[in-house]
Amino acid sequence: MDELATEELVEITVTVNGTVHRERVSPRMHAADFLRQRLGLTGTHIGCEQGVCGMCTVLLDGEAVKGCLLLAPQLDGRELRTVESLAQGGELAPLQQAFKDCGGLQCGFCTPGFLMTATALRESGRRLDREQIREELSGVLCRCTGYDGILTAVDRVLNGEQR
Amino acid sequence: MSSVEVAEQQAPSLIGSSVPRKEDDRLLQGDGRFTDDVEPARSLHMAVGRCPFPHARIESIEAAEAAAMPGVHQVLTGVEVEARTEPISVLRPVPGAADLPFYALASEVCVFEGQPVVSVVAESRQLAEDAVEAIWIDYEPLAHVSDPIAALAPEAPVLHPERMDSNLLASNPQGRGEPEKRLAEAVVVVEDSFRIGRVSPLPMEPRAVVAEWRPGARELIAHVSTQVPHLVRMQLAESLRLGESEVRVVTGDVGGGFGLKLGLYPEDLLACLHAIELRRPVKWTEDRVEHFRASTHAREAVHDFRIAADAEGRFLAMTDTYVTDLGGQNSPFGSAQLSSIVFTGPYRVEDATVERRVAVTNKTPIGAYRGYGQPEVNFARELLVDRLARRLGRDPLELRLQNMLSEEELPWKNAVGALYDSGDYGRCLRMVAERIDYGGLRAAGRGPRPDGRYVGVGFTSFVERTGYASARFLANRGSRFGAHESVTLRANRSGGIDLYTGVSTFGQSNETAFAQICAEVHGIDYAAVRVHAGDTGATPLNTGAFASRTLIAGSGAVREAAAALRAKTLRIAAARLELEPDALEIAGDVVRCREQPQRAIGLAEIHVAAITGQGIPGDEEPGLEVTAHFEPSAAAFAYGSAAAVVAVDAETGEFEIERFVMAHDSGRIVNPRAVEGQVRGALAQGFGAALSEELRYEEDSGQLLNGTMLDYFVPTASDLPPIELLHTEVPSPVTPFGVRGVGETGTIPPGASIANAVCDALAEFGVEISSLPITPERVWRALREASNGGEGLEG
Repeated sequence: MDELATEELVEITVTVNGTVHRERVSPRMHAADFLRQRLGLTGTHIGCEQGVCGMCTVLLDGEAVKGCLLLAPQLDGRELRTVESLAQGGELAPLQQAFKDCGGLQCGFCTPGFLMTATALRESGRRLDREQIREELSGVLCRCTGYDGILTAVDRVLNGEQR
Repeated sequence: MSSVEVAEQQAPSLIGSSVPRKEDDRLLQGDGRFTDDVEPARSLHMAVGRCPFPHARIESIEAAEAAAMPGVHQVLTGVEVEARTEPISVLRPVPGAADLPFYALASEVCVFEGQPVVSVVAESRQLAEDAVEAIWIDYEPLAHVSDPIAALAPEAPVLHPERMDSNLLASNPQGRGEPEKRLAEAVVVVEDSFRIGRVSPLPMEPRAVVAEWRPGARELIAHVSTQVPHLVRMQLAESLRLGESEVRVVTGDVGGGFGLKLGLYPEDLLACLHAIELRRPVKWTEDRVEHFRASTHAREAVHDFRIAADAEGRFLAMTDTYVTDLGGQNSPFGSAQLSSIVFTGPYRVEDATVERRVAVTNKTPIGAYRGYGQPEVNFARELLVDRLARRLGRDPLELRLQNMLSEEELPWKNAVGALYDSGDYGRCLRMVAERIDYGGLRAAGRGPRPDGRYVGVGFTSFVERTGYASARFLANRGSRFGAHESVTLRANRSGGIDLYTGVSTFGQSNETAFAQICAEVHGIDYAAVRVHAGDTGATPLNTGAFASRTLIAGSGAVREAAAALRAKTLRIAAARLELEPDALEIAGDVVRCREQPQRAIGLAEIHVAAITGQGIPGDEEPGLEVTAHFEPSAAAFAYGSAAAVVAVDAETGEFEIERFVMAHDSGRIVNPRAVEGQVRGALAQGFGAALSEELRYEEDSGQLLNGTMLDYFVPTASDLPPIELLHTEVPSPVTPFGVRGVGETGTIPPGASIANAVCDALAEFGVEISSLPITPERVWRALREASNGGEGLEG
């Protein structure tokens, strides 16, 4: 499709979930489209394309960012992680298991966004109480769960069972 | 059915257990398959050009330049679509309404902002969107009307003059008794006009469609994000003039529906039409700007409600005349209709009438949304109950309990003939009052507290119809679907069971609940049941998931199919073990003798025998597969009560919901964790509609003011009040296992309980609220209005 576009393509080298990819991308392609359409990583979802809903949240050099607000050329030289990186050898990661145990998902469309946001929180090493977790998760919207199961799951993984 | 009883006696019950969900593993790993994840080789992409005006005549369309752009394959306009397709049919039309056929593209007049006018298919979405920008459409804006009450005024422009002589699409009076007489006799009558705001159901996954056509095979495969694949198949076949056998709708994971994804949308049809004409796969995924204008909206209504009571507070009569907004034309499902069914709520009222009036306006069509008219009417009635209590100097809790139907009075036929099947309505109300320590709160008074805020308590009680009464009920209303569900169970050679259902998966835990019931009735392990949902090429023809109906009908179909499969399995095993079927049980992966468990045979071996026909009794047919259909005998009425405690700043109108307690009864519960998730999720949508969500239209231009996620405020994790849930479990006598529907319950109580709490807190100022959402500004305006002695200020 890109050969029909009039703009010049940009070559990027990006590490995604540990694999190095070298790709030529349209300057107007955003990172979430790049992941989905170029790399086939369809676990990253798209909900608003204006940085509000958080469906496309991924980790860029360890930081949770909204993939729809990043252009693919900006990924050059960076390291990206998506929801597909979490489970190892078919085993759910502790965060994924907690979502399952706590009723943290229903339709599952927002789930990758919450999982990546919570992964960044966990790796930050910050100590957060439930109210702070609630604030931190407010950048991702869920229309199914009412957030309670999500908060409980993240709280459980960040702070252990001693609630 | 004896085998069912046997199964229920022995295994520890799976029904009632929060087993892990079948859906979770794939969704947690990013391996769900949503429609936008599907992209066949050589796919083309569609973009849609939309009318920017609320009401306009299309003067001309100049598309030659766009059609000639590199990478553009086809441009379609309304004239072509009208020639090549039939109008999109309405699944649940308003009774008595004029037929308002609509095509996928407008050709002469557009009746709402966002209505599709042209569609373009190109090599990429970007090129298709660029081509849409290059199409010049000349519009003549026409006089518009946005407000449903204004639309019914004689001076309003008539929006469908070829079929209607006003904007009143239908008027449906129902009821019994002589309420006018009771009103005249009553000691006290309370009445007001209540406005319920327009909202968006806003599933996180936008709509999407991928269409593939093989002309030689005459097969259209349409991947559609929908709650009703089999109904979309019917609508697609009709509109495309195809036989149903030429259409296969495939629905994978759906990222939320809530009523918005009920039926065939214009874009679904357009993608299919392009795919057929271009012989290439065509894909379209809605963007959020389109979603706010072209996916159905919900709720907007004005209820003129009256309650009459005697000096003792006994309700003598209720009347409700309400106007619902249809928008510019029908949605593929139709607008909400249940206000009329539940307008008297859980109360003992003999004389009551209701009239639904449906108005056409120049706004996005209204469709179904979780609750489907029930939150709206509950708001009106329950606010008036509190006002009546204040007028009579009665406690609102006591007044409700006095008028509430008792357990002994059920079943009860309400004024419109709906049958409340069973329950203890008062118990839920007493439970929430006790949980919030109502006595303690009253003793502490309304304040002001040291922080200057006033404290109020608001109650609400409701009944909720779940499921459909019957196919006959639906036929009388012109609905194009049945009240039943259908399920196929097929044994496989691995020793498992494949369960096939047309109910697509959009967060309601249907795969989990169906597998639980199947395993419970059959005896097989829950893990060995695999659910295949949503592909019309593989699943039995069914109705679909809406109206809290899935489990009410589906549980019966699963039960019957599982019982039949079990019976045949036992007969084949009995012949092999040289025992009677009655002596056997299915336990996990084996069939065994109940008395001598060592006499056993693997389930896989029985399945292979049946599937090959080798080694089964001579009088037994080969194969191990059952399809069952089930229609419940009636709709089940869920019910509940809620209490909100708020603290209100009487200077600014700001308020905080300090506690919210809800007690509900959903009958027998199949999966408690899933039920809690449904209730909390629906409550979040209820709080959104009560507090922050409202689609606002600018009066002069008639245009949507807040059609993006940046300025339409869906609750985030930080926005919800603390929620405490209680429940009772009274089995419904009209459904299998005693279940009642649960998906929509939570949308009903937030608005009424919060409004009542705010008015209670500000009772000394005489503040009354009459509209949703309840924003601090509206509370402030109500305070100003009250202090001005009732001069109209509330906006």
